[in-house]
Amino acid sequence: MQKQENNPVSTNGETILDVRDLKTYFPVRRGVMQRVTGWVKAVDGVSFGVRRGKTLGLVGESGCGKTTVGRTLLRLIPASGGRVLFDGLDVFELGRRDIRILRRRMQIIFQDPVGSLNPRMTVGNIVGEALTVHGIARGKERQRRVGVLLERCGLSPGYINRYPHEFSGGQRQRIGIARALALNPDLVVCDEPVSALDVSIQSQILNLLKDLQSEFGLSYLFIAHNLAVVEHFSDDLAVMYLGRIVEMAASEVVYRNPKHPYTQALLSAVPETDPAKRKSRVVLSGEVPSPMDPPPGCPFHPRCPLAIDRCRVEIPALIPHLGCEPGHRVACHRADEIRPSTMTEIMKNTKE
Amino acid sequence: MSVLEATHQIEETTIRPGRSLGQDAVRRLARDPMAVGCFAIIVLYAVIAVLAGFWWPDFQTSINYELRNQPPSWAHWFGTDVFGRDVFAKTMLGAKVSMTVGFMANAIAVPLGLMLGVLAGYYGKRIDDLVVWFYNTLASIPGIILLIAIKFAFQNVVLFRDTAFAIDLTGIHGLYVALGIMSWIGTCRLVRAETLKIKNLDYVTAARAAGAGHLRIMFRHIVPNLMHLAIINFTIGFVGAISAEVILSFLGLGVDVGTPSWGTMINAARMDLVVGRWWEVIAACGAMFLIVLALNIFGDRLRDALDPQLRI
Repeated sequence: MQKQENNPVSTNGETILDVRDLKTYFPVRRGVMQRVTGWVKAVDGVSFGVRRGKTLGLVGESGCGKTTVGRTLLRLIPASGGRVLFDGLDVFELGRRDIRILRRRMQIIFQDPVGSLNPRMTVGNIVGEALTVHGIARGKERQRRVGVLLERCGLSPGYINRYPHEFSGGQRQRIGIARALALNPDLVVCDEPVSALDVSIQSQILNLLKDLQSEFGLSYLFIAHNLAVVEHFSDDLAVMYLGRIVEMAASEVVYRNPKHPYTQALLSAVPETDPAKRKSRVVLSGEVPSPMDPPPGCPFHPRCPLAIDRCRVEIPALIPHLGCEPGHRVACHRADEIRPSTMTEIMKNTKE
Repeated sequence: MSVLEATHQIEETTIRPGRSLGQDAVRRLARDPMAVGCFAIIVLYAVIAVLAGFWWPDFQTSINYELRNQPPSWAHWFGTDVFGRDVFAKTMLGAKVSMTVGFMANAIAVPLGLMLGVLAGYYGKRIDDLVVWFYNTLASIPGIILLIAIKFAFQNVVLFRDTAFAIDLTGIHGLYVALGIMSWIGTCRLVRAETLKIKNLDYVTAARAAGAGHLRIMFRHIVPNLMHLAIINFTIGFVGAISAEVILSFLGLGVDVGTPSWGTMINAARMDLVVGRWWEVIAACGAMFLIVLALNIFGDRLRDALDPQLRI
């Protein structure tokens, strides 16, 4: 892989994936002539970096655009704007041939263990397809490699001629992981890999992903809607709301010192096992606005109890605030005044 | 991780064969007596279609005026026709025409519908517009009228004229082609809709992420997952083609008048009923009824067995 030396935006060795101002808009077509009448701004100016060998957790509720981010930077969905640098390669500038190289280095694991495996293909063909497509191995050699991959993902190599419907949900997810690892990638986008699984299976899969990460030096973009899952898994954390990142920091910092009201609300929804630590839950009123018609100003202001006039007109930038540790950035006009317990206090007051 | 290793060691490492969804469907069909019975009837008709021509090679010339219009007897199970020919032999020979028309028409229609449906659904945009416009136009013309028009247009048309593969479209070959280009629409619609669904499924996305090309995605990921539609449409289309042949032959537009077919039998016998000669009509209708019934039930059972929605 040759690096693009003349790249104006250079990435340091620490960051493997650098996403800058990524935008993905979907056209809305109406009427007989299928004219474009509007745009769904699924991802609207998102910037983040994934450190080499580390995990960036991307959390947010359904429909906030986190899945779209993952698929856009793999070039499975066309981007509307922005720039993605993967190990110095400008992903959106790659031609047909170069994109095949990208495919070998960036892979994806899906949420739905049923829909992500072709029911008419054997496990051997599912896992080994990429090896055939890239001309890496065929015949006996391919079978051997697939066997090794299956074994590494906790499945018997003897399953090679079985079909997906003969497996349980957790086993299917392991097949999906083996498929993603077949090309020995550097970065894996994990698109809610455990959301569809039983809690007992979730931890097994998460442990497997952790082991694979340390063994192969993988970097993960870990997409999830459940903060409890991400907490122990991610090194860094980015919280998304309505196509934008509202807060970003090292994982532990976000948990200890959440600044954005939305992050605080999300965190208060994580179940706490220790009764002494339980706080009153922050319940947000209202629905997530439609990304087709986002509110002016801060996208969160219609649901935010702290919103002031400025929030209704001016979109807050993702910047460091007072009391933020290095690398901690929040997109909130009032972040300077917010303490970790602000939202729960407001909830308590309104209850009384 | 220790749990993982433990479960792992229990599993033996011999490669055991899996059971594909197709094998699964066959197994389930084999357990269903109704499906097996109907399949046996279809096979019986197919065997008759192949052998009838050899069994009664000189049927057309076996005219015997002394035996004409005899009711069923031990010598002639289904009686005799106006030329004194055996109606049983005539019915069996009719099966040959019907089964051939059913097979040939669908051998043209189903692959055509499958191909156009997948292309339209997969590529979308202009190709989709074109295919949809084409079948909508075709579907807006009443079927039987279009069929008659195509048959008329085929008069004295010979494909590959002066070669060893010359196909005269005037007679029964024209019927295959006419029915073929009439009946791909249903398959195409279903296949297109299914392709639209499948191409957005995660396993297709995974194939794209792995770097698979369009052809590979279409032939390895999409087509195998809608083959069941093609198979079901083949059985259902069979029924349509058989009835269309009978109707056209009845109208005198199908096979040549001299050729024994169920349509010509019903046509020839339409005067007979008045004078009480019921056996030729009953034989033709009964033969048709049985195969149509068998195909319909088998098609139904096939759908139940093959539908991936019912078994994932």
